Amino acid sequence: MGRGERSGPNMLFLASVPILVFLLLPSLIIIPMALTRSQLIQFPPAGISLHSFADYLSDPQWVHSTVLSFQVSVFAVVLGCLAGSAAAIGLHGRRFRGKGMVTGALLVPIIIPLVVLALGEYLLFAHLHMVGSWVAIGLVHSVLVTPYVFISVQTSLTAGLNPALIRSARSLGAHWPNVLRHVYWPAIRPGILSGAVLGFAVSFDEVVVAFFLQGPGMVTLPVRMFTAIQFELTPKIAASASLFILLATLSLIAQGLLASRRGAR
Amino acid sequence: MNRLGDRSRRPWEPWLLAPVCLLYGGLILVPLALILWFSLADGGTDYATVLNSPLLPVVVRNTLVISLITTAVALLLGYVVAAALWRAAPRRRTALLAVILLPFWTGVLIKNFAWASLLQDNGAVNELLQLLGITSTPITLLHNRLAVIIGMVHYVLPYAVFPIFSSMQGIDRRMEQAARSLGASRLQVLWRIILPLTLSGVSSAGLLIFIISCGFFITPVILGAPSDMMVANLVDYYVHTTVDFGSASALAILILLGILPLIFLQQLLPKESMHGAG
Repeated sequence: MGRGERSGPNMLFLASVPILVFLLLPSLIIIPMALTRSQLIQFPPAGISLHSFADYLSDPQWVHSTVLSFQVSVFAVVLGCLAGSAAAIGLHGRRFRGKGMVTGALLVPIIIPLVVLALGEYLLFAHLHMVGSWVAIGLVHSVLVTPYVFISVQTSLTAGLNPALIRSARSLGAHWPNVLRHVYWPAIRPGILSGAVLGFAVSFDEVVVAFFLQGPGMVTLPVRMFTAIQFELTPKIAASASLFILLATLSLIAQGLLASRRGAR
Repeated sequence: MNRLGDRSRRPWEPWLLAPVCLLYGGLILVPLALILWFSLADGGTDYATVLNSPLLPVVVRNTLVISLITTAVALLLGYVVAAALWRAAPRRRTALLAVILLPFWTGVLIKNFAWASLLQDNGAVNELLQLLGITSTPITLLHNRLAVIIGMVHYVLPYAVFPIFSSMQGIDRRMEQAARSLGASRLQVLWRIILPLTLSGVSSAGLLIFIISCGFFITPVILGAPSDMMVANLVDYYVHTTVDFGSASALAILILLGILPLIFLQQLLPKESMHGAG
């Protein structure tokens, strides 16, 4: 019996190993692919060289796109954090009919087909003569970021803040700026941080909206890569993709640190 | 006391929802209204154009077939991984979780680029096949439906694992022990006990994956052939190739009408937390 109990999980684990390799493999090969000496993408790479990174970093258009992507994502994250955490605080501890629907509506940007949203934004910003403006892309990205911040702040509020605490703070005479600063802020800070990290990844990787709203000189890095990939697979694309892998790894580490700090508390 | 507290909160709390309302109103509702308006601007002839287009049946069939296969494969693979996660000892579980969560941090473009590089004629998969002597000349693996499905399954797999895993966590392990001690085989336990108890997680994950799959845009372009075009690509075709915003809008409305019932159904299903493990 005892033996049977053990063999099950191990077989399952063995069966899941190829699936996990399938899941991880693509992320693992990108940096090695960028390090090739050849002008074409090969695996295994033919000799080691940094020329693809030099190609990427010496191309003013690609550098401009990279800077633009950071600019758009930071803008989107700041706005998304404000809107998402305000909404989470506003709904915290309140019970009313239709609250489930309000929460569901907040998550709409996650599930709406991006191409439909992108078309709508194109029609809107064409009307406002703002196609090809980074602010337009940033605004739409902030909508995509908001639900992630909302979920993350809501989770840290339900886990770490009893609504009764706010009632007692209020009944002891605390005004709302003080309630926000001393009661809410410490509770939501980890949630905002982890939502911001996730939101940054969502915005930085987004292609469809940025593709529809692009203009001359307003091409984000993923859109430039998307266009380049359709033409030819080059080590230069792999070099810029390495930046995404680097950011993803940093985000995962940041998230892990946040989670462990939260756990330690 | 309670009521007093609630009343004292009333003046400022609703205002906290104002930024979200402004953002979503201006950047979701207004664009959707514009799509509806553009789709009807020609008195509905754009709907006729879209519905009579010879491309529509092709892209709809592509979308349904590719999404269904993707959903089925992702559920199958996701079930195995979820079960391994469920049965793993705590330390191994943490490692497994990290591996499953890692792909969440890279977007679909980077993943598809990696798959394109792996599957191309001189890519790693072909090199491996030749090394193993399975083939002597490169097989075309890129720019076909199989590549699209591989890329899509890879992207949606984590979405399958978590709902199934959280439905497994609700299973009382004593039930399984009881069945085993009464003589049920391992397969019978899986089929008669575990599978029925995880059905809510499976259906919730399946619906979510199907909804996500139907909206894919990047993957058919990078990994597929022109004949693998999906509905999202047809919207792009109307916008950027024929510059026909009326038809693009009509198609977008049709896509929404097709997907909305699925989204409502998804909301109705018992919630298996997507973020339970995260």
